[in-house]
Amino acid sequence: MSGRALDNGLRLLGLVMIGVIVCFLVTPIFVTAVMAFDARPYLGPLPPPALSLRWFAKFFSDDYFLRGLGTSVELAVLSVTVSVCVGVATAIAVERASFRGKEALISFFLSPLIVPPVVTGFALLLFLSKMGVINGFARLLCGHIIITAPYTIRATLAGLSGIDVSLTEAALSLGATERHAFWDVTFPLARTGIVSGAIFAFAVSMDDVAVSIMLTDANTYTLPVALISSMRANFDLSIAAASVMLMLLTLALIVVLDKFVGLNRAIGQGVFRS
Amino acid sequence: MTDAAQPSPETVIAFRDVSKRFGQTVAVDRVSFSVGAGETVSLLGPSGCGKTTTLRLISGFEDPDEGVIEIAGESMVGKRPYERNVGLLFQHYALFPHMTVAENIAYGLKHRRWPKAEIGERVDEMLRLVQLQGFGDRRPGQMSGGQQQRVALARVLATRPKLVLLDEPLSALDAKLREELRVELKQILAAVGSTTIVVTHDQDEAMSLADRIIVMNRGRIEQQGTPDEIYARPLTPFVAAFIGRANWFHGRIAAAAGEGLCQLATDAGTMLAIPHPGGAGGGSWSACIRPERVVVMALGAAGGAGENRLPGQIVDVVNMGAELHYIVDGAEGRLMAVEPNRAGPRVRRGDRVQLLFRADDCVVLPRKPD
Repeated sequence: MSGRALDNGLRLLGLVMIGVIVCFLVTPIFVTAVMAFDARPYLGPLPPPALSLRWFAKFFSDDYFLRGLGTSVELAVLSVTVSVCVGVATAIAVERASFRGKEALISFFLSPLIVPPVVTGFALLLFLSKMGVINGFARLLCGHIIITAPYTIRATLAGLSGIDVSLTEAALSLGATERHAFWDVTFPLARTGIVSGAIFAFAVSMDDVAVSIMLTDANTYTLPVALISSMRANFDLSIAAASVMLMLLTLALIVVLDKFVGLNRAIGQGVFRS
Repeated sequence: MTDAAQPSPETVIAFRDVSKRFGQTVAVDRVSFSVGAGETVSLLGPSGCGKTTTLRLISGFEDPDEGVIEIAGESMVGKRPYERNVGLLFQHYALFPHMTVAENIAYGLKHRRWPKAEIGERVDEMLRLVQLQGFGDRRPGQMSGGQQQRVALARVLATRPKLVLLDEPLSALDAKLREELRVELKQILAAVGSTTIVVTHDQDEAMSLADRIIVMNRGRIEQQGTPDEIYARPLTPFVAAFIGRANWFHGRIAAAAGEGLCQLATDAGTMLAIPHPGGAGGGSWSACIRPERVVVMALGAAGGAGENRLPGQIVDVVNMGAELHYIVDGAEGRLMAVEPNRAGPRVRRGDRVQLLFRADDCVVLPRKPD
């Protein structure tokens, strides 16, 4: 009896914890989203008496923000493109080879995830200055490739590890060369992993502050950096509006990801067992 | 034994003293055999006996350390898997999940450079062969295990490979489906007249599919012969124990006992009449008798000449449906007899009985050093 009461108590405690965590995660976002639509021209207490799109309008009429947004998108597209190519090539090379220290090498490739971004940013700043790279965009691009590549490497490795070796062997025994077997079989099946890695990498690039803040110059800065600087100078709710848009972008990415993964599950039913 | 590895126009594949090592382990140890056109041969053995390595050597996923592998008279040294035209049916089918059934079957044709117009025709032909008309647009994931297996077979046979390798072809299916597909598989292979090697650890699969069985153990060939030969005349204790069931008796040859027979004085102290193993006699020997050659009779019933009788007590009668398995304890330890499940009075657990078997039915082999 007492054991059962304890079980029920623990189950209740679990539910309460879930509730608390959900509130903890959602409340700040909810507050931000509501404030972004506040009609008042100043920062007033919750709830706003009326709603409007004035902060969104302000965001889009502000050159400083728009320039940051432009740089961020450009940077994200370029750095993700590079890091997907690098990541896929690296993952395939590592996956196929068998040598001592393979695990260590993979950990090394993933190390930018562990090194604090501030350290990465500062080290890169010093290094690139010594190398004579003073172009802000080039510096940012280097930084963003470094912080996004681990995501594409890891996601591609995960995608590859689900593919049964016998599929490649089947292709070879049916007359396909190794190169054809890769493009016909391995690549399509690893695509889910590659796409999800690319989406994560894009989100990381759009989101990064710590590395970017070290590498920006007066004319080249990313949106998150612009938001932080403007917050120090004149705090207003266009930052909340920008946050809402960043959130929507992330949401869109998640939907795309889910569609891809969901799609592959439908196709790949029963592949990865055995 | 058969004349292994003699190249003749009809030999599809020949192994000559092929060895393969992985580190310290010798996976395949000086193996020689050959398979003629249209023949179905089974490589049979327990896991780790070298049969899978042999299969990978034939298909080109491994290269031999020593020896020669020839396919259709051509040495396979340095030939990549896609340069061999050897069809390989994988245990878990290995169908491409992102392609339709038709695309799977067409895959080999495409890479073997068949003309586009003929590919579609050939795919339809293969679907008919494996009785999956109308399934061309399905994905493998939408099909049952048995259907997937048939698609895999169609994909293998589509390119008309010189040699078809089947890796444990039925082991991934459940028992009932296995029986059905076994018959179908045999018919399809016969219909296309392919030369086939079946790699399996399942003696039923080997016995039922193959014209000839090559029994492997520890990287070597123990015996090769027809299923009948392997079963009735095993040459080594391993083969006798691995194929089917056997009751064993170990002892020394005591004296001759009539036409071609002799007496085996067993370690447990009984005298058994067995075929004379030849030679001077004497020494340690083992004799075995198949359970279905042992008759269970009530005590005191008369037997014929040249028959062995061992008294014992029924420990269990196991009803397997088609047959009854009698487990009998006696002076020689636990023995087994198998009889068809017929109507009529039966002996029961605890009954005292005698086991009868003919001396001629015993197989005599040199005793394995313990």
